[in-house]
Formats: sequence, C-alpha cells, structure tokens
Amino acid sequence: MKKILNNPADYVDEMLDGMIAAHPDIYAQPSPRVVSRAGGATQGKVGIVTGGGSGHLPIFTGYVGKGLLDAAAIGDVFASPSAEQMAESMRQAHGGAGVLRLYGNYGGDVMNFDMAGETVELEDDIASTTVLLADDVVSAPPEEAEKRRGVAGMVYAFKIAGAKAEEMADLETVTAVAQKTADACRSIGMALTPCTVPQAGKPTFELGENEMEMGMGIHGEPGIWRDALKQADAITDEMIERLTADMPLASGDHVSILVNSLGATPPEELYIMYRRAKARLEGAGVSIVSPLVGRYATSMEMTGATVTLCKLDDEMEALLKAPCHCAYWTVG
Amino acid sequence: MGFASSDLAAAAERVARKAETVADELNVQDGKLGDGDLGITVSKGWREAASVDLPDDLGRAFLELSKAFQRVSPSSYGTLVATGLMAAAKATKGRKEAGWDEIGPILVQARDAMMARGKGELGQKSVLDMVDALAAAADGLDTPAPLLKAIDTAATECLDAFRDKPNGLGRARMFGEKSIGLDDPGMLAARRMIDGLLDR
Repeated sequence: MKKILNNPADYVDEMLDGMIAAHPDIYAQPSPRVVSRAGGATQGKVGIVTGGGSGHLPIFTGYVGKGLLDAAAIGDVFASPSAEQMAESMRQAHGGAGVLRLYGNYGGDVMNFDMAGETVELEDDIASTTVLLADDVVSAPPEEAEKRRGVAGMVYAFKIAGAKAEEMADLETVTAVAQKTADACRSIGMALTPCTVPQAGKPTFELGENEMEMGMGIHGEPGIWRDALKQADAITDEMIERLTADMPLASGDHVSILVNSLGATPPEELYIMYRRAKARLEGAGVSIVSPLVGRYATSMEMTGATVTLCKLDDEMEALLKAPCHCAYWTVG
Repeated sequence: MGFASSDLAAAAERVARKAETVADELNVQDGKLGDGDLGITVSKGWREAASVDLPDDLGRAFLELSKAFQRVSPSSYGTLVATGLMAAAKATKGRKEAGWDEIGPILVQARDAMMARGKGELGQKSVLDMVDALAAAADGLDTPAPLLKAIDTAATECLDAFRDKPNGLGRARMFGEKSIGLDDPGMLAARRMIDGLLDR
C-alpha cells in the first residue's frame, strides 16, 4: 500500500480535521464524524442530511454548505456511520422544520439511518423523511430498480433538493423534489485500476494491465464485462447507450450530465469523454444544461469514470442553477 | 408487579457478562457463515449497554440500551438488536413499570420492527425466527419464573427446528446448502443472551 497517511486507523478523523481546518467558513464538526455547516442549522428551513462511508470525497461531507446539505454523518472508509452519528447529524440539521435523509441505497446505511430517524423522533420530536438514490443502472435490472446502488446521481439530488429547501419549502415539498430528482438520475461507471482501503491494505480488486471493467461499482462491485481497454469514444458511447436504454430521452429533453472521475482519472480524460457524450446527446436532439466535469464522487485513488444523466423539468433546471457554495462546488 | 428500569439494568449486566464469555464461540460460529465478528458485535454492544446509567422512565431506559448498541455496533446484527430495543422503548414510553404479560406483545412488536428493518421474513433461519418463537412462548404469561422457563425452552426448540434448514437471509444466504446442519449465528447469540438472563 502506497498512501500518504499516518496511522491507517486515523485516516478518516485526520482527513475530517484537515478538511474543516482548511474551510472553517464552510464546515464544522460539532461531534466526532458529524459535519455541519459552519453556522449550524437555519431556523425554519428543512434540514437535509446525508451519510455514508468515507473514501468518496467530495461525497458525502464535502457537499455540506449553503444551497446544498446541512449536515452529514461519516463512517470509516466504505463503511456505514453508526446510527448514533446519523441521529446527531439530524439534530444538527434540524431548524424546526424537519429533516430529509438523502443518501445512497446501501443496506447498512439504510438500516442505520432508519434507526436514527426513529431515535430522533422518539427523543427529540424531529419529523423526518427519506429519499434514497438508486441510480447505478448496472447494479440491478429495471424491474428491480429499487435494489440499485446509489452513486454520483446523489450530487444532483443534493443540489436540487438543497436549493428547494433554501426557498423555505416545507418537508413534504423538499422530499418530493428530492424524490423526483432521484428518479430522474441514471449512472454507470467503468474502472481501470482499483483503490486500497487503508485499514485493509490491499486493493479492492485486480484488473490486468490492459484491461478495463464496464459497469463497476464505486466500491469495486463487479460490473458487466471485463476486457481489453477500448478507446475513449467507444467507452463513452457504450455508457451513454446503456443509460439512455434505461431512461429513454426524446428530442427537446433537457438533461444535465456529470462526467465524474473516480479519483485518479485526470480532467483531461474526462473532457475527452465529455466531448463525445455531448455530441451523442445533442445528435439526438437533447439539450445539455449545466454540465459537470470533474471529481464529484470518488473512490480515493481508483482510476475510472462514471457518467450520470439527470433529466430535468423546468423546476429542477431552475433549482440546479440556483446559488450554492461548498468547498467543491459553487454556483452563482 | 411488573418490571422497572432497575430490573432492566440488572438484566443488561447479566447478559453483558455472558456475552463476554461467549464472544469467541459466536465469532467462530459466525466465521462459518459470515465475517466472523458477531461475538465482537454482541459483546461490545452489551458491554456498552450495561455501562449506561438508565433513567427511571422505562421507555427512555430501553431507548438508552438501543442507543448503546447503535453507538458501538453499526453492523446489521447490532442494528437489529437496537431496533428490537427501540420497539420496546416505544411500547413502554412514559411509564416506570411494565407488566410481565407485556413481554409477549413487546416481542411481537420487536419482531415486526426487526423484520421491516432487516427486510427479512420468518422461516429464513435468522434471529427473526428466534424472536418470533420467544414471542409465542411468552404470550399470556404474567410472572417472571414461568416466563423465563418458557422462553428458555422455546430458544432450544427453535435452534433444533432450524439447524437442518438452509439460511435464507443476509450474508449466510450465500452459503446455501452448506449452512445445513449449522446453527444460525444470530439465533445462537440470542440463545446465549437468554443463558445470561438465566445466570447460566
């Protein structure tokens, strides 16, 4: 294992300490593994929390900020936070108008966040709702879409629901907008090299020198096929085709696209992919709105990329363009 | 006469002591069908639960036990135990005492909450079947000695009834036919917790 760290057991806590020290105007850590906005909850506003394992920055904690999330609970690398930490994140996010739990569909996270919701309802009288991201089209067929894992589509849900909450909409309305966004996102990933979980010390999978895997999940979950590395256009074409097969697009549709690095893939290669994706989508008469290209949801040093499409209606488009500010993403 | 927060604290203490001594056994059993850390989950969870000062309000006391598990055992089994304790917290909220005859209905509520949380069904050879069997055994009993005797017998019968079936839930499900003949680790952990209650 070749990583810049001290003790692997301190990896997450030292990362959080550093992140908050670097951006004290944006983030605070009111209790261990709970990150909130520096100014705390906004009174009267619906709080939005997320949570999940470390190792995916800017997801999850990175997107705490104005116009985005109010708090996040963070676990060990690729491991769920505890229900207690999730409950505390909800208390930190609560401004008197209830809390939306908005996160990815992973078994441990779901159990713990449901538990946390019951705890704060019983103990603090906080009303809460849940919206799960399940945007990875490879992780289950369309007829079992509710079993799909949540990946980079989360970024759109954070942004759009965050903007709605900032308008002081009520919990039911913010939840509905978040669900609409989750339902409108489709993602697919591909990987070239693995990452190593610090406390495990070994790569999460092995791939041959000239091999790629299409459809791989962000924790190295198996994909659809593994074969010789293809050219960028062919890779991008297949990803776009698989996404649009799952969520057909019509001429005139407005779509945002996120071409995301899993960590080690450089912006140069993402732009080569974006160029092709744009041509394909526009060739089909689809309008691209607010494209995102860069590191938005990673797996530490994994090499590879994900592509997410988010099909927008007028409300979602306006909310996507509304102001937001965190260390990784500023609009307006 | 029923049970109060102080009875709960004493019971948690007995179970925590037992959990410590059976941690290795549960790790080994779990290692045959999972990742081999169930003994750690159970012993850490009960150690934390037993260390908490419980309030007089019985509902709050169950909630504190639940939170102790949430704090130190984020694994799926730890969360299921916390879920069961949370169901008990809801059932006894705002009261200083509950009747022994409420144990049966509380176990039913715990079972249902655990099934919903774990997305599991009865008959899949999991701790859910054990809670179901205990609930049935406790039904209608309103004094502690017969109640404990009934759940003790039910726990043994439940293990016997499921031993030769395959696991159908969670990670153990992946082992399919290989799980036949093995006690489900989660059911066995519940059995050992009952041993603790009985000071065995």
